[in-house]
Amino acid sequence: MTARGTPSRFLQSVLRNGVGRYVCQLQRLSLVFSKESPGSRGAREIVHENVDFFAFSASSNLLFVFAPSPPKKVNGAVKEEQINKKTAEEIAQLIQKMANQSGLEIIRIRKPFHTDNPSIQGQWHPFTNKRSVLNVASFERVKKTA
Amino acid sequence: PALSIAVRAGFPRPAIQCSDLLLPPQGSGVSSVLTTLRYQSSQSTSFQPTYVPETSLSRPPWPEIKLPDSAEEAKHHAVVIQKVNNLIAAGHYGRLFAVVHFACRQWKVTNEDLILIENHLSAECGDRIRLEKVLLVGGDDFTLIGKPLLGRDLVRVEATIIEKTESWPKISMTFWKRHRFQRKKVTIRPQTVLRINTIEVAPCLL
Repeated sequence: MTARGTPSRFLQSVLRNGVGRYVCQLQRLSLVFSKESPGSRGAREIVHENVDFFAFSASSNLLFVFAPSPPKKVNGAVKEEQINKKTAEEIAQLIQKMANQSGLEIIRIRKPFHTDNPSIQGQWHPFTNKRSVLNVASFERVKKTA
Repeated sequence: PALSIAVRAGFPRPAIQCSDLLLPPQGSGVSSVLTTLRYQSSQSTSFQPTYVPETSLSRPPWPEIKLPDSAEEAKHHAVVIQKVNNLIAAGHYGRLFAVVHFACRQWKVTNEDLILIENHLSAECGDRIRLEKVLLVGGDDFTLIGKPLLGRDLVRVEATIIEKTESWPKISMTFWKRHRFQRKKVTIRPQTVLRINTIEVAPCLL
């Protein structure tokens, strides 16, 4: 109940992702780091030694940029994360997490499901799965009185 | 096979006939017992049941239900199953829906649905998984109900993992008034979003 005042949205996906095939939503990633400072050691390791990420980018639509522009999703969302004083492993985890996210707002989600076809057999009413004899009314009494 | 077509069942018959219990005792003392015996023997020898008004205690309030004959029922079932098999084989079922058990919950899903699992899944993004615990599958004109699950060769429900993200920071605050005590705990849980891709049925009911 106390979360009712917080901003919320419904469960959704970007451009019906996953209906045909899955498209990784991280489009551009730029690492901003210093060439000398000890705090940027993890980022330097990632760039110089870890080749996995370049293979990862080749397999997806990810673009690595080494200029100070923030990381970008396909839908235009931008997110910045601090990589200063982080080890190479921590930065790798961070990049993996951002690649797995869709870039939609991280706020309260009202329902854990979303469907465009809420009912296939029709909405329930008191006569569903009942005998169709109940639909037939006899008017004998009406005739007698008339 | 583990499956049943939905059939309406009647109410069970009540175990005790209540009218037997409602007979009042006849006479109060020894002498009166004798007199009543003599009186009854002189009047009539046959047993006269007392009048019991029709209430919910004398008779169950619902009309007596006659269960259909089991042999006829079996014939009827065979016809229905054949009909459903033909519908599935011809593909005349429209959009299918299913109830699957996944992540300790039951989800009613159809094609192109999204479901959110409030936990981490070991599969990667883009992986296609098969949801095997299918409790129910329905089309336009029929519903297949498992007892409790439908067979793996009968139904196939597939889903793709499209997002692995984190929940919004849930704040749980504890505050004791007049005690200078407060604790704030921020919880972030992993979340996984699944897209239901296909629900397929094979015509192999019998």
